[in-house]
Amino acid sequence: MTDLAEALQFVYGPQVLNGLAIGVAVILMALGLTIIFGLLDVINMAHGECYALGAYLAVSLVAAGVNFWLCLLLVPVIAAAVGYFAERLLIQRVFHSRDRHVLTLLLTFGIAIIAEDVFKLIYGPNPHKVESPIQGASELLGIMLPNYRLFLIGAGTAIIVAVWLVVYRTSLGAMVRAAAFDKHMAASLGVPVQRVCATTFAFGVALAALSGVLLAPVYSVFPTMGKDFILLAFSVVIVGGMGSIKGAVLAGLVLTQIQSISSLYVSPVWSDPLVFGIMVLFLMVRPEGLAGRLGHG
Amino acid sequence: MDDLETRPQRILAAAFLVFALAFAAFGAMAGDTFFLRLATEALILAGLAMAVDVLLGYTGLLSLGHALFFGLGAYVSALALKHWAPSFWGALGATLAAATLLGSVAGFISIRARGVYFALITFGLAQVVYKAVYNTRELGGSDGILGIPEIQINFGLFTAPAASPAGFFLVVLAFVMLMYLALAYLMRTPFGRALLAIRTNEPRVPFLGYDSSRAKLIAFIIAADAAALAGALYPMLRGFVSPDLLAFQASGNALIMVILGGVGTLVGSLYGAVILTALKSVLGTWTEHHLILIGALFVVSVIFLPKGFAGYVLPRIGRFLGRRA
Amino acid sequence: MKQTLIAAAVAFAFTGAAQPQPGPIKIGVVTPLTGTYAGIGQQVKWGIDLAIKEINDKGGILGRKVEALYEDEEANPTVAVQKAEKLFQVSKVDFLTGTVNSGSTLAVSQVAERNQRLAATTVSFSDAITGAQCSPNMFRVNARAGMQSAALVEWMVKEKPNPTVFYLGPDYEMGRSTVSAFKSAAEKRGAKSVGEVFAPLDNKDYSPFFGQIRSAKPQVLYTSVAGNDTVRFMSQLVEYGLTKNLQIVGAAGTVTAQNLGAMGNAAEGYVTGAAYTPELDSPANKAFVSAFKAAWKTEPDLYGVDSYGVVYFYKAAAEKAKTTDTDKVRAAARGLDWDTPQGKKHMRAGDHQAVQDMYAVKVTSGKFKIVAKVPGTAAVGPDTCDKF
Repeated sequence: MTDLAEALQFVYGPQVLNGLAIGVAVILMALGLTIIFGLLDVINMAHGECYALGAYLAVSLVAAGVNFWLCLLLVPVIAAAVGYFAERLLIQRVFHSRDRHVLTLLLTFGIAIIAEDVFKLIYGPNPHKVESPIQGASELLGIMLPNYRLFLIGAGTAIIVAVWLVVYRTSLGAMVRAAAFDKHMAASLGVPVQRVCATTFAFGVALAALSGVLLAPVYSVFPTMGKDFILLAFSVVIVGGMGSIKGAVLAGLVLTQIQSISSLYVSPVWSDPLVFGIMVLFLMVRPEGLAGRLGHG
Repeated sequence: MDDLETRPQRILAAAFLVFALAFAAFGAMAGDTFFLRLATEALILAGLAMAVDVLLGYTGLLSLGHALFFGLGAYVSALALKHWAPSFWGALGATLAAATLLGSVAGFISIRARGVYFALITFGLAQVVYKAVYNTRELGGSDGILGIPEIQINFGLFTAPAASPAGFFLVVLAFVMLMYLALAYLMRTPFGRALLAIRTNEPRVPFLGYDSSRAKLIAFIIAADAAALAGALYPMLRGFVSPDLLAFQASGNALIMVILGGVGTLVGSLYGAVILTALKSVLGTWTEHHLILIGALFVVSVIFLPKGFAGYVLPRIGRFLGRRA
Repeated sequence: MKQTLIAAAVAFAFTGAAQPQPGPIKIGVVTPLTGTYAGIGQQVKWGIDLAIKEINDKGGILGRKVEALYEDEEANPTVAVQKAEKLFQVSKVDFLTGTVNSGSTLAVSQVAERNQRLAATTVSFSDAITGAQCSPNMFRVNARAGMQSAALVEWMVKEKPNPTVFYLGPDYEMGRSTVSAFKSAAEKRGAKSVGEVFAPLDNKDYSPFFGQIRSAKPQVLYTSVAGNDTVRFMSQLVEYGLTKNLQIVGAAGTVTAQNLGAMGNAAEGYVTGAAYTPELDSPANKAFVSAFKAAWKTEPDLYGVDSYGVVYFYKAAAEKAKTTDTDKVRAAARGLDWDTPQGKKHMRAGDHQAVQDMYAVKVTSGKFKIVAKVPGTAAVGPDTCDKF
């Protein structure tokens, strides 16, 4: 019995808690992606670069002397503006074509290529550091966890709840869901669909940027960081259901826990293929994911 | 209807062939090596681009991981040439067999999904295999396989040495043009028409009596074979293979070639490959920020010229012909 | 298509015109200017540019000016091969250098052989390059992995006799072979291995492995991660409070001037085996460091100094041979001694590996201080190249 308790405390406990911290970060990334797909039917291949944008903005602001907590508010706002204009100026243009899915995917793919090189141009190829605002570690039931990660779990959960509230409990959210369900009907009911689309895209970008700021002290900042989470974020979105917030949360937690615990048994190199395998399985067997689409369930 | 569509394509393809032959003549006279080999590489990549176009332009399936088959072809060919026999036909044969097998398996997994899901599966598959090859010592790991012998290609009546820049260029040119003709012909058969139907409106296809899943799977295997055969030529040209031939960058480049050249035209991929290879070579020397320029060109192309180079030129050729008729 | 016609015409012009001998000596540099290794490529470029400027100010090589032609290889061997061929064939460079990852170096050495020119690497430290995969046209002026391990092991067994060691490396060829090279060298000197784990390349979060490390309770942790992975690994080790009573050692490329800034205090106390530190106390090095800082406003690292050194290597070989002819320069380079900011280096004829003194270097207050030294002949290891 004590063996099991010991195993729980020293082996599984830490893995689960670590997985939780990582999971919250991944969910924030995936949330933006799933909202953008759920409403706009746009696969944002540049989502990773939005994440990087947030981190780099934080680097610049902190270097200019801005308080880290203020950055958490400023960066998403700036990123949202960038996203809004990107949507109106670039994505809207290919929106009405028949090959919309493919074209938007390609378009955002092209933007991602440009963004990565622009980051390198402005900030140089070497990594940057954002000091963690909360130092030290605490012990929780005998498990050591850095304080900043505990903050991450808490803040991340708060943000997820806030997003859910906005989408399901506000009139803006209702408009968004209506437009996702049936664009034309919503328009004929007076919903300003174009502006709602651009705002939603901006919102998704802001979420990614926010996770960039939150994770910068943990994962450091460098030009190719956009590729860090991409496969995992897409897997979470697909397994959870494109456009479903509940699904993204559920899938995010489950997949990161699977990754965390599997690293105890198999070589860590296989954790990415494992997640990918689960994604493929879902695509073959249950393509709507765990929870279905935004506006549909 | 047939004439208006195919004659401009044939003219564009013939023009490509003529330019290529002139280039080869120039190059041979000048004793050049680099530009001929660069052009040969462009042709090899054109083969990959055509495979992507078969899936994207004709079947409506976006493959984000087609470099998987290209790299597979390169590795199988490299292993065959180095360890089995330095034979051109042997390497191609081994590649065809491996690609058909793997293409069937991968196709079976991927075909269930449509649209963006298909794209993500192919992306993921390519990533997984890339990492696996990168970490496998027996396949050279991150260093790849070096020391591929320079072979002699036996055509029965004469042999062409792969080491000769102009000679190998002509061999690859012939190979790629034959591939183009075969694929173009295939797209005009009822099977090819079924693919176009699938691209336009898949749910209706079964009502016309076609099994869309089977058609898609066959198209996938064909695209896999084409990409692999193109890849098989790479080690003969450069004497080595590396896991980077499987990386996402290679798939992404193929996609850019198809879009720039003109999706759904097959001949566009030939031009797209040449345009991108030339651009990368020239821009790369000029500035280290070439990726911004190529990315910007790609974005502009997607927004303003979604039909690409061929898409722009072909209707004009058609109109010119129409005026003459 | 017009592009190819113009290109063909250019090629024609190049080969058509006769090449008179005076004219600058051209050194081709194929190095990653974009992508993950761009930081290394930048140091390579700085080192080479500085050396060329100095050499030109003093009259050049064999009375001819030197110029460098740069091409971006994107850390991709397929691109490196293309660019290398371009530099050899179109720009007609006399010598090539700059490749960073071993895949590119090996592939480029094949190209050099086919073009009958010489090349050198200043960064790749895979033992195979001057070992099993050696090439008569490829030279290496930097230290290889085996040499780095030798210096590090020497320091470690003196500081902590019979230590318990845990290994964490990136899961790919270079990561694994570095770990195994150090492991076998360490075990021969009494170290006890208590655990080994390989994380994927570009891994973001190392916390899943900390449980293992904690339960193994090692005295020493050896790591061969690099670049951004190091920043994350070290910061996370500190975050989780694992660095108390733990000596962290590792490969030379793990902590360099490029990622030290991002790590801050997390890298304090890190020890590695390297052939260079900017703190090296010799007049030659002091002059080099101040010239480098004046020109580029940053400190040089091992890639910068070795790339600086390779130009002087070529100069010494060409001047000894009194020509830039490939075979004569190769013959002159074999067994050559030449001066670098690190002291005198000797190019071993049997495998084209530069023999140089190795140091155990410790990160102290943000600087790389020397804590031990192993003479070159002891560190270099046997000549295992049998291709020439």
